[in-house]
Amino acid sequence: MFRFLHSSDLHIGKRFGNLPEDLRGRLREARHGVLGRLADQARANGTSTILLAGDTFDTETPTPAMLRQALAEMGHHAPLRWIVLPGNHDSLLADQLWEAARGVVPDNVTLALRAEPLTVATGVVVLPAPCTTRRPGRDLTEWMSSAATADGTIRLGLAHGAIQDFSEDAAASDVIAPDRAARAGLDYLALGDWHGQVTVNDRTRYSGTPEPDRFKHDKPGQALLVSIAGSGSLPEITPVDTAAFAWRTMPLHLLGDEDSAMALDALLPAAPLRRQTLLRIAASGRTRLGGRTALVASAETASHDFAHFELDETDLATDCESDDLDLIDRAGALREAAQALLTESDDPARSAVERDIARAALVRLFSYAEAVEP
Amino acid sequence: MKLTALRLHNVKRFAGRGVAIEGISDGVNVLSAANEYGKSTCFEALHALFFQPHTGTPKAVQLLRPYSGGNPMVEADIATDDGRYRLTKQYYGGKRASVTDLASGRLVAQADEAEAFITGLIRGGTGGPAGLLWVRQGITGIDKRSNAEEDSEKRVRESLLSSVQGEVEALTGGRRMAEIAAACEEELYRLVTATLRPKAGGRYAAALEERDKWFALEQRLATEVTTLRDALDKRRIALTRLAELENPDEDAARRAAIAAADKALEAAKSHSEALKAAEAEAALAANRRDTAARILSEFRAALQRAEDLRHQSSLAQSRRDEANANRAGAIAANEQAIASVQVAEQDEHEARDLLARLDAALLARDAAERLTDLRQRLDQADAARKQVEDSEAALALLSLPQQTVDQLQALEIELVGLRAAQAASLPTLRLDYVDGAAGSITIGAEAIPDATDVSFATSLRLDIAGIGTLALRSNRPPQSDQALDRAENKKSSMLAVLGVDSLAGAHQRLAAAREKNTELNLARQRLTDLAPKGLPHLHEEIARLAALSAGNLELKADPEQVRTRLAAATQQVAATRNSARETQPLRSQADAAVVTAETAHAALQAELAALDAILGPENDRPSREISLTAEHVTQKSLHDTAEARAIPLRAAAHDLAGAEATLNRTRSVQNAAEQQVGQLRVTLADLNGHIQARSDNAVEEAWREATESLAAATARVERFETEIAVLDRLLKALATARSAARDLYLKPVITELLPLIGLLFDDISIVFDENTLLPQSVRRNGQDEDVDRLSGGMREQLSVLTRLAFARLLARDGRPTPVILDDALVYSDDDRIERMFDALHRQSRDQQILVFSCRQRAFAKLGGNVLQMQDWTPPA
Repeated sequence: MFRFLHSSDLHIGKRFGNLPEDLRGRLREARHGVLGRLADQARANGTSTILLAGDTFDTETPTPAMLRQALAEMGHHAPLRWIVLPGNHDSLLADQLWEAARGVVPDNVTLALRAEPLTVATGVVVLPAPCTTRRPGRDLTEWMSSAATADGTIRLGLAHGAIQDFSEDAAASDVIAPDRAARAGLDYLALGDWHGQVTVNDRTRYSGTPEPDRFKHDKPGQALLVSIAGSGSLPEITPVDTAAFAWRTMPLHLLGDEDSAMALDALLPAAPLRRQTLLRIAASGRTRLGGRTALVASAETASHDFAHFELDETDLATDCESDDLDLIDRAGALREAAQALLTESDDPARSAVERDIARAALVRLFSYAEAVEP
Repeated sequence: MKLTALRLHNVKRFAGRGVAIEGISDGVNVLSAANEYGKSTCFEALHALFFQPHTGTPKAVQLLRPYSGGNPMVEADIATDDGRYRLTKQYYGGKRASVTDLASGRLVAQADEAEAFITGLIRGGTGGPAGLLWVRQGITGIDKRSNAEEDSEKRVRESLLSSVQGEVEALTGGRRMAEIAAACEEELYRLVTATLRPKAGGRYAAALEERDKWFALEQRLATEVTTLRDALDKRRIALTRLAELENPDEDAARRAAIAAADKALEAAKSHSEALKAAEAEAALAANRRDTAARILSEFRAALQRAEDLRHQSSLAQSRRDEANANRAGAIAANEQAIASVQVAEQDEHEARDLLARLDAALLARDAAERLTDLRQRLDQADAARKQVEDSEAALALLSLPQQTVDQLQALEIELVGLRAAQAASLPTLRLDYVDGAAGSITIGAEAIPDATDVSFATSLRLDIAGIGTLALRSNRPPQSDQALDRAENKKSSMLAVLGVDSLAGAHQRLAAAREKNTELNLARQRLTDLAPKGLPHLHEEIARLAALSAGNLELKADPEQVRTRLAAATQQVAATRNSARETQPLRSQADAAVVTAETAHAALQAELAALDAILGPENDRPSREISLTAEHVTQKSLHDTAEARAIPLRAAAHDLAGAEATLNRTRSVQNAAEQQVGQLRVTLADLNGHIQARSDNAVEEAWREATESLAAATARVERFETEIAVLDRLLKALATARSAARDLYLKPVITELLPLIGLLFDDISIVFDENTLLPQSVRRNGQDEDVDRLSGGMREQLSVLTRLAFARLLARDGRPTPVILDDALVYSDDDRIERMFDALHRQSRDQQILVFSCRQRAFAKLGGNVLQMQDWTPPA
């Protein structure tokens, strides 16, 4: 019976330049902090081994401070054992990184820099496939099939990269054979690269990142707790939470007269979670002029609760009828202006951009008209 | 549309009861009552009926409700082209709206349909302004305005234009429009300038700056990352290369290669030494053999040559002797010819001398003869010359100038004339003596002749014997004789000059001179004949001839014979010279031949002498040849021996250059390896520095951050651009609508307004600009006034007039509309009000006007249909 924690894609050092400045520091710190949370989960679940399947660092040249602090953090958690595999972001090409790491690596951290069996416990061997370059252009796990180990040994594959067309980087010429575990007689193949958790087969998993860094996957940051009874037995796999921040994308589909503000409120997570949540509301469907301004106002209010809040209105259409226009004015020049904008926003002779702008101008006119007393 | 009745129940002060105003007619209707009577309540109720949906409870509706609560109900009867209707609305509890056809009593519409019906009435169907025209007490628009707004400077400065335009815009919903436009503009111009350029310091400009900043940073960092990656790649390559170079096996292999090459070179070198020695020996032997062979062959050649020379020498000697003999002959012949030339020349000379002497003698003889003649002529010539000289001297004495003589002659003639004239003028006396008395009277001593006229010039003293002295005086003027005196004087001076005593003398001298001159001429002619070239020439000729004739005058030979002899001698000279010239070349040739022969001989002799020196004494020569031959044979065999030793060495030659090159190459390989290691270490140190610096700065992370930030900043800029486009579009839409409304109403309204203004203000005229619709000027009492400030009274009057004008416009458009005035004229004085009444009546011909007023007395003059409020209970 061997139990370990499988994680990957920590991307320590990622800076989040696309997010507001005050949030960046928190997000960076969370990436460093995930080491501690992984260690906590390992201890809590009675395991002493953590496999990091690549992209522990975000770049090939992290600052010395960051590198040392990360390694020191791992060192603090001795006797927990960390096996660190180079991924595509921190491939072996990053000799600066690995050279520096070698100099300060604590005893309980093993840098899996060579494709050769590593005995991590009695009868347990890890077969690492470190990324040689950013894009190796070949299946680095190939060697595992021919790697000999003693009978009854638990064989664990550790690799980083795409299977089929799963890849964080679009280029996918260097795919890992999806059936590598079967071909190489692995009891478990721990994969990294894909930031969302993916089950490839019974013995092959992407752990996903323990601390999400984008909205793309809409999954919580987790690691995998893997227990293997013995050589050949199916691994027992349990996800454990590790993330400090949640990145959520929530669809908000509106229907005509629906109260958009209420619909939004119903969607938002519980207040205590909001500070650690980066939320994107993907609004879709249709709304009336008033509903739209109410939605925007409501979102504006709610946004302050969250670490980050985005309202994506791209797919939200605005319906506009004559009584909506009446709210602007029943007659006169204002009504004329509103009517002109409405006509333009539905005019198929105009470009989509012009129509959108006319529609947005109408919405704006509506919100101004609301603010000005009749 | 026209109103015919208004009823309300449970509205404001009418809690729990109702009032009705019935019988509203066309034209002016007046409801005149004291304050707090409920006029304004009627006004507000009516307004609510038309503008407040029955479902809502906005503030305007809340105000209708009495304090005690309840459900306000309003009802109005109207007449339109389509028929007469009753509009009813109830708010709050039992809220409803209905339209009933009064003719049939049929319910036409309810609830929303009723609202739509009412909206249709006031909108007039074309999106025009609110159909009812309302004017309230003290304000110029129906819209509520805050105090702050009323008091603001903007309002204080309200111009005539804004008064008029404001009215129109109030009617066209313009105030909200202005506020919306202002809000929109404020938002837009916070971001951009009026030309839609980013506004400095604005958020848009900041976003642009931010984006540009990130762009620049991203570019810079991308370059740095590329540089860093490049450096990493380079370092990797360098490290790989270094590892290869420092591999101990390869190092050992390189050193072994050097040792092997060294050994090979040593072997090659020692063999090369041996070969060199053998070659040198062989070369020396060959040299010696060649020398011996050369000496022998030279000796033999010299012997042969000596033999030849001796033969040639004897031939040359005989040729020399022959040439000498020839030259002696030539010399003799030549000298003989020269001697004969000398003899011939001597003969010729002698003959020539003799002939000369003969010629000289002949010449002397001739000269002597001529000398005698010449001497005779000279004597004659001398005589002639003497005669000439004598004659010339005589002539000089005799000669007188002919002109002077002529003048003298003329003077003489003049003198005669003058004398005669004098004589004629002189006093004369004549004494005729008596006998005996002759001579008794004397003049001086001289007696006066008898009977003879005696004349005198000046005075005359007569001594009369015995009697005394008689003095006679002529008393003539003294100048009367001056001309004569002058002539006399001139004559005597001329005579003195000429040297004669009288004219006759002069003539004689002239004659003598002419004679002498003739004589002289003859003598000169003779002299010329005798000595035509002058006497000196004659003397010279004589001297020359005397010299000639002084020689030997004897003739010893015949000159002709001598001449013949000379010619022969001359011929002989020429002949001999020619023959001498002929012999000269022969002699020269002989000389040259001698020289040639001598030279040839001498050369042969010299060569022979040299050869003899080489060959040595004649007797030793054979033995010497033998010894030289033997030496040659010896040297040849020695060379063969040396060559035989060298041949095997040559065959086994080692490639020394090759061995050396190999050694150099292997050494250079080693050196290059060492050098490269050194260089690689330096390169690595550099690269390490670069990489360290960049990775310490975390350029890759910074670059990723910059890339993401750039994307975010770009998105932000795009959002701003969209925002700006939206705001701009909205502003344009508003501006277009507003200007369309202005075009639609403002200008026509002003057109309608102008006659009304004329009606109201006969002392005032307002001129509007046709294009801008701005009032250009206000003239009052013939004086221009500031259009910016108008009195409150005037403003409210204009406000009412504007509405009237507007209503008129609508009426013309086929939409007659009531105008409702609620205490609208509070600031106007009575006079002005009456004028307003006139205006109202004038308008009311086309339309309905409702006037609510508390100024009962003043409005009594308005006339029109007086309305009354009466209690009313709505039907159950």
